[in-house]
Amino acid sequence: MRENSFRILLGLGVAGLIAGSLGMGVRLILGHVPMAYGSYVPWGLWVAFDLLFLGLTAGAYIIVVLTYGFGLKQFESLVPLSVFSLLVSLLCEGIIISLDLGHPLRVYRFLVTPSFSSMLTWLVVFIVAMWLIFIPFLYFLLREKLVLWSRDPGRKGRKIYKALALGRTEYSDADRERDRKIVRLLALVSIPVGFVFFAVPSAMFTDMLGRPHWSSAILPISYMFASYLSGCALVTLLASVYHPQEAVFGFLGRLLRGFLILFLLIEFIQIFFGYRTDNPVAVAALSLITKGPNAWIFWGVHLLLGSIVPLYLLTARPRDARAVAWAGFLIVITFVAVRYNAVVPELMAYDLEKRDLFFIHRRLSQAYVPNLYEWLVSLWVVSLGIVVFLLGTRWLPVTPAEKGGEQHAS
Amino acid sequence: MSNRMPAEDPLIRMQRDLKRALAKKPGDVKWGMVIDIARCIGCHACTIACVAENKLPPGVVYRVVVEQEIGQYPHVSRRFIPRPCVQCQKPPCVRVCPVTATYKNEQGVVVMNYPRCIGCRYCMGACPYTARCSDFGDWYTSNTPELPGKVVGRTATAKGYEARPAAEYGEDWPERGHGSPVGNARKCHFCLHRLAVGMLPACVTSCVGRATIFGDRTDRESLVFEMIGSPRVTRWKEELGTQPAVYYLA
Repeated sequence: MRENSFRILLGLGVAGLIAGSLGMGVRLILGHVPMAYGSYVPWGLWVAFDLLFLGLTAGAYIIVVLTYGFGLKQFESLVPLSVFSLLVSLLCEGIIISLDLGHPLRVYRFLVTPSFSSMLTWLVVFIVAMWLIFIPFLYFLLREKLVLWSRDPGRKGRKIYKALALGRTEYSDADRERDRKIVRLLALVSIPVGFVFFAVPSAMFTDMLGRPHWSSAILPISYMFASYLSGCALVTLLASVYHPQEAVFGFLGRLLRGFLILFLLIEFIQIFFGYRTDNPVAVAALSLITKGPNAWIFWGVHLLLGSIVPLYLLTARPRDARAVAWAGFLIVITFVAVRYNAVVPELMAYDLEKRDLFFIHRRLSQAYVPNLYEWLVSLWVVSLGIVVFLLGTRWLPVTPAEKGGEQHAS
Repeated sequence: MSNRMPAEDPLIRMQRDLKRALAKKPGDVKWGMVIDIARCIGCHACTIACVAENKLPPGVVYRVVVEQEIGQYPHVSRRFIPRPCVQCQKPPCVRVCPVTATYKNEQGVVVMNYPRCIGCRYCMGACPYTARCSDFGDWYTSNTPELPGKVVGRTATAKGYEARPAAEYGEDWPERGHGSPVGNARKCHFCLHRLAVGMLPACVTSCVGRATIFGDRTDRESLVFEMIGSPRVTRWKEELGTQPAVYYLA
């Protein structure tokens, strides 16, 4: 990435952090009182962002599968960067969902009194598994470089690298071989774990009784492909920016196009057959998405900006790194619309027998529009992710320019 | 004198049923409720009594009375349907709670363990009866003025009523605003704290039409047992297999 672009992006990230701090301040001082969600629409924008961040981690998963599962070595140099993006996504996910909890300091309860009948518990189990797999994965991937950097007298922050290398000053061929084996083992473990991980969020929704739009066998498939699509878009963007070799971004661009077409097909099936069921709640939820006051989210943001334009770019200019990067970028930034429509309309459409008319309060309403504070908190978390990622690419040996030549995928 | 005099107020009989239930081992009692829609006059007294009894904050309600209009003018009628938590015997909310903060107690009542609840609100989406509310920390007095020495302001007013903890679950809760139940999911619990001291739930005693019948549904002599045996009895969303302990007489 060019220095100018880096500075502009970092500046935007810092500006987002400053602007978003108003929302964060309100959330931390006043709690949930100023927020727009209520008891009948208990999950809103932050849960949509949570699902978005979870899905973005699929990018690294795809790269790991391609590199270690299929032995495609052209992606090897992209592994550290994509795994780093996975950790940043998980960090953002953890922050935004903690802010959504009524008692975030009680998350230790997942350890003390877990209920394994709850899909939320399993989601947490798999999130922890992803952390436990990918932190050592990245560490052993980068350790050689960390040791080298800690010895480099001309490098800033040597003490940090020395600490990250856990005091190790020498790195032998035997160390390299051992680290390579550990990384490979962790990669292989991550493949089945990741496969389940991307289906678990959907199980939270399919588990809800009497929710026809969610209680559907296609939902887990839809969620998995949604994650693969958004994650693939992220790593395609990263590859186009940090590793603009056609063998890499060209392949990822084609893969992205495939995921996009498949996801649109699944979405069409969900909508078409959802309407065909004639179930009033399912039809009401779908109509909120396609014909409601926020239909522009579906038609404008998701379909036009997030699907048709990227599909055109990926089809018409598949060898142009810039066009492929734009396609990835558009899918990533518009994907929150997909996640929002996956959560909110069903809650807004549920048949409450007009209960909200007989006991009136804004918390007992099915109308939900995320307010400014919710957007500002989301902006803060996204900006934090951007800043951490950019600083990581500058201070850690994760970018392809800093990494290369190692045969960790053999 | 017979204890089945037709003129006897159902409240008297339910009180007697309650006394008998409390003499049993707690695990042998299974609380149940029958709501006779034909007797409900839509006064919403049960809703208000519940709010007062449990000191529910703004935006939290355990028992809404739904009003339905049937037919077209001039051939119309109305009916009123109280909608408390139906106390499922196979509760979906319990299944989805990730930290076992909600569970069915030995008397068949789905209860909350407030200090354990993390406030994820999963149970609220999972309840097909939407019987749960989240306590987001709202105050009735939040927009009242605060002019010390001139008016009885926000803080003093709140301390006089809504800051004082409710007696829910018979626990000694802190003053409102200092932890649970703010941030928690909340729900109807059949006024267990009242039952423990021999009092019927607030919605039952406040029902002017005597439309809400309550008692031990395993006690063959109880009014609630008798009502559950009625051919008019139905359960809401029976097809979901949740086995509610709240029955409706249609």
